[in-house]
Amino acid sequence: MNFFRFNPNDFTIFIDVYELIAWGERHRILNFFLSKYSIMFVINLEQDWERRNMSSILQIKNGYKESRGADDSIGRRRDHRIAAALDRSGHGRCPRSSSPMHSSLRSVLAVRDSNSNALLIKLVKKLPPNSTQATPFLTFEARGHRSAVVQDVPVSKPLSRADVQELHLAVESCEQLPATLVMAPELSSLHSFVDGMKHVGDVMAISVSKYGDLHLQISTSLIALGAEFRKLKVLGERADPVAEDNGLSSKTRVERGVQRGDAMSVQVSVKHFFKSLQCSLAKPDCAFFGIAPHGACLMVFFQFFVPGTRVTDKSFSLHCKLPVLDTGSS
Amino acid sequence: MSSAAAVDTEADLVCELDSVRGIVDALCSVRWKRFQDALLELSQHGIVIIVEETGCLQAKVYLQRELFIKYDYAATGRPRFGVSLGLFIDCLNTFSVLGRSNVLELRYPGPDMQLMLRSVDSPDACIYAEIRTIIPETISWDYNFEPAGSTPLSFTVKSAALKEAIDDLEWPGSSIQISLQPSPPSVIFRGEGHGDLQIDFNYYVNTDLLIAFSCDRQVSHRYKYKFLRATTSNIPASVLKDNRGSKATIGRGGMLKIQHLVSVAKPSVPHPHIDSAGYQQPSRIAYIEFFVKPEVEEKNGCV
Repeated sequence: MNFFRFNPNDFTIFIDVYELIAWGERHRILNFFLSKYSIMFVINLEQDWERRNMSSILQIKNGYKESRGADDSIGRRRDHRIAAALDRSGHGRCPRSSSPMHSSLRSVLAVRDSNSNALLIKLVKKLPPNSTQATPFLTFEARGHRSAVVQDVPVSKPLSRADVQELHLAVESCEQLPATLVMAPELSSLHSFVDGMKHVGDVMAISVSKYGDLHLQISTSLIALGAEFRKLKVLGERADPVAEDNGLSSKTRVERGVQRGDAMSVQVSVKHFFKSLQCSLAKPDCAFFGIAPHGACLMVFFQFFVPGTRVTDKSFSLHCKLPVLDTGSS
Repeated sequence: MSSAAAVDTEADLVCELDSVRGIVDALCSVRWKRFQDALLELSQHGIVIIVEETGCLQAKVYLQRELFIKYDYAATGRPRFGVSLGLFIDCLNTFSVLGRSNVLELRYPGPDMQLMLRSVDSPDACIYAEIRTIIPETISWDYNFEPAGSTPLSFTVKSAALKEAIDDLEWPGSSIQISLQPSPPSVIFRGEGHGDLQIDFNYYVNTDLLIAFSCDRQVSHRYKYKFLRATTSNIPASVLKDNRGSKATIGRGGMLKIQHLVSVAKPSVPHPHIDSAGYQQPSRIAYIEFFVKPEVEEKNGCV
């Protein structure tokens, strides 16, 4: 039995994060990656396995330096890593849906015993009903004072060593972080705006500038539709906006910024971008957009604060990498 | 973004509206097919959007200048241009973000004769769109509606009841005959296809449904079901909720005119001391008109 004992700083973040996991699982685009110190859920932007390296990655890290109770069998057989896909095709194996888990978690929280181990995520082999063959499940267990919630999610057989290595590289590859990150405007309105954009076109240009400007645009033969957000908070390299740019149109401002080297612009699929915004299901406290050096990909980072503070909760990390479309146009 | 202080003397029209949702509802009511071109005509009185099914059905949406917060008209004559109706609606939808008041500026023409839209309620965030316009073809059929006689032949019925009646009349699978008779004062909808269905609205029996009635002689015409259906299929939910009435008039030659009223009110918290059910200031209404040609018996009308 391989398991991961998780003591988050606050359980409430996990409840919202679970909503995102459940969403990924419903859409059959979820893999998980269990290691000694963390569990990672990889939400693929495409159902096609070939393009799995561009995706949303939710990493839940253990609060402790060593994971307590990690079974040595992980270490011995699989170099401390195991990965599999959450697999909805086995309907008969697990008739329960994810949503009851979400609300049950809330009620368990209400009676949670602070001394108990808050959450256990286990990879187990169980005997499903109507079958004689034990199959793997990812089990979520939360214990409260007087009640507990257990959810079994059917998973595929663990991936081969080669596949795990590939997934590990894709996920943890040291691509360079963007030099400039801008804080996203309110995610729910961005989400509904991009939802509207989906009806208009397939490809959008997104640009991020050191002045704190974020610009999204779809351009087809019949319509150019865009949104510009200015004076956003900037992390990393920044520059002061040029005053003479103020009277110009958004498009011209972006072009000038790119020419000066103060902004970068890439093209992404609207559908991918919309999917990455689904991460707002996890109710992060803020999000940042940035373009990796040389326009390699678009990255979105989500942060969770410890409730009641503005301190980042380091046990959760969620980020998304979107592939850049190579159109060859400016 | 050019300075907002002075009126742009190059533009024919610069106007601002604060109720994008209402405008979208009004435009959706004239969308009966997926791909439709709309003709926009600008004047000092407001904007008219005309949608047509060649030779058979025409719809007009009147957005009077009173619906706009600002309406600066500087053209001579009445500029006309065509846009894709679906694209225009999808575009307007991106401007209406829930829970926020959005002020939208419409400007025509842009540098390339586009229709320009821009949100103007926030200095640091802006949604904008430029929609390509097309030179309109001349409207093939001038839907000059003329009264049938000295007494109008018309009735006003609850929009919800009219929609329901027309929805039900799909079943016979035939064209629909609409008859008005003065005695007893009533409107009869009839379909005779692989089954018969007749729906009567009697004026004195139920004044809740049939609100008004004017008719001095018996008259009866047939209309193709799909065009009749188009007049009510996309009535916005707000019209049904507000309990509005729709007016139908039969003109010369049997041309049917159906008029709806769509509320274009700004979404706001209702005043606690006013019973606002059904009440709207008159200037916050968009007028929708449909013109349906009758079926011609002998030669090819609308096939």
